[in-house]
Amino acid sequence: MATIGHNNLNAKLVLLGDMGAGKSSLVLRFVKGQFLEFQESTIGAAFFSQTLAVNDATVKFEIWDTAGQERYHSLAPMYYRGAAAAIIVYDITSTESFARAKKWVQELQKQGNPNMVMALAGNKADLEDKRKVTAEEARVYAEENGLFFMETSAKTAVNVNDTFYEIAKRLPRAQPAQNPAGMVLVDRPVESSQAASCCS
Amino acid sequence: MFGTQSTRDISFEFQSQIPNWRPSIYTRRANITVKFQDLYGFTVEGNVDDVNVLNEVREKVRQQGRVWWALEANKGANWYLQPQISSISEGIALKSSLKLSALTNTITLKRLIRKGIPPVLRPKVWFSLSGAAKKRSTVPESYYNDLTKAVEGKVTAATRQIDHDLPRTFPGHPWLDTPEGHATLRRVLVGYSFRDSDVGYCQGLNYVAALLLLVMKTEEDAFWMLAVLLENVLVSDCYTNNLSGCHVEQRVFKDLLAKKCPRIAAHLEALEFDVSLVATEWFLCLFSKSLPSETALRVWDVLFNEGAKVLFHVALAIFKMKEEELLLAHQVGDVINILQKTTHHLFDPEELLTVAFDKIGSMTTNTISKQRKKQEPAVMAELDQRLRRLNSLNEDDK
Repeated sequence: MATIGHNNLNAKLVLLGDMGAGKSSLVLRFVKGQFLEFQESTIGAAFFSQTLAVNDATVKFEIWDTAGQERYHSLAPMYYRGAAAAIIVYDITSTESFARAKKWVQELQKQGNPNMVMALAGNKADLEDKRKVTAEEARVYAEENGLFFMETSAKTAVNVNDTFYEIAKRLPRAQPAQNPAGMVLVDRPVESSQAASCCS
Repeated sequence: MFGTQSTRDISFEFQSQIPNWRPSIYTRRANITVKFQDLYGFTVEGNVDDVNVLNEVREKVRQQGRVWWALEANKGANWYLQPQISSISEGIALKSSLKLSALTNTITLKRLIRKGIPPVLRPKVWFSLSGAAKKRSTVPESYYNDLTKAVEGKVTAATRQIDHDLPRTFPGHPWLDTPEGHATLRRVLVGYSFRDSDVGYCQGLNYVAALLLLVMKTEEDAFWMLAVLLENVLVSDCYTNNLSGCHVEQRVFKDLLAKKCPRIAAHLEALEFDVSLVATEWFLCLFSKSLPSETALRVWDVLFNEGAKVLFHVALAIFKMKEEELLLAHQVGDVINILQKTTHHLFDPEELLTVAFDKIGSMTTNTISKQRKKQEPAVMAELDQRLRRLNSLNEDDK
């Protein structure tokens, strides 16, 4: 279990986003295939792990699902430190949550692991009639900031697993540096473009 | 007690609904997971062993009740509500003989409470020991009713967040997750958010207040318990603005773990596992979200009598109990799984509290206060630095 072969990768992943955006629901959908109309509010953070097979490799995600309330943000660095990937979640029915998501992106760009794979998830895509944030607006923002973007629904399961698969594919095949000061990885484009055709 | 209040008494009683669950031979054959309600109405999922443990615990609770009644017969009704040694030093002049009896009572009571307060006595004993009764006695009797009336219909950031969390607080609980349960919890949390606008509403308090409601049975008493917890029992600023008090507690905890469980602390450090990853929730929810209800309430029994240092005792005990297993863990995920599995299955409060108070070694409130003082500047500097960084990010944005 402790052996990490060439094709097995452990990746720390953190979910960030506004209170009630659906972070825990996305994780529950991905890890257990379940959805609860009322998901217990997360305090501090909750931990999950899930392994995915991507092409010839397996990626074991160690997922930190964080609390959304603003005052909990002071705890966030503990969870995103050393993370290989992040999913920033907003609720498509709330412009506030989209603004909050942008702040998280900024913070991670400045403070996080520079090789971090970042995904922007516009959750609650099933609530089309309550939509406040257009997919176009989010897509443009994501492109400008080098994020990978999907609209998801933890309720209907749309794009939930795909988001995690896409992250797994984009992870640099070498383990991310645990100690960012220790080594500098060559800044190369993520190896996803050729693989993306298979399921998207 | 009061006409208006009685209508708000919480009308539920779980004890009678729960049959004593006896595993049949059939269920013994396989390791079947059973679902049932515990003493406070929470759904518990466990195996046959867990059920047996819970039945034993229920029997122990009954025995402990008999100890309390016997002492009451001996020392007089409500002896445990008499002034304790701590309040005597506040200037109540008593004859030396009385002091001595008060001292004996204090010691007896401390031991007794560590063994558990019978659930029926909890509301009365907690209310008195925690200082909630005293707190309430300093304001007009109508304080709570006036407060809830005055804030009715007001909308603030806090009330919006509270509304959002009501159905997400122990969902599925037979009383909390009903319109009546939501409305009651709402009044307590909203009322408190107006009483202390620095705290307003902090996620985590929903669980604490919910459990207080289940124990205290009266909404107003739950409110005062919440007030005394935040204002007197716990370290200040645990739940305010950037949770600075909570950050301080976490640093103190890390130091204590290094001192009391050096092997575990060293091993976890080598794994780059920050104990705050799991302990933050323990401290903010006072274990209400991680321990089975009766075990959590046993922790609270001691918390209200001995103060916030109890949280350190219990947190250290959870690590200590699993020392060997933790030392064999080589991945962060395994460490978390061990700790989660342990806390969720601690159906026997004795198992935890024996380690917490007999195997951790004593820690005085005084030494912990000193530790907190020592950590405060570092926490403030760290939070301040982060705030400045974030502000500079916002300026970039403009």
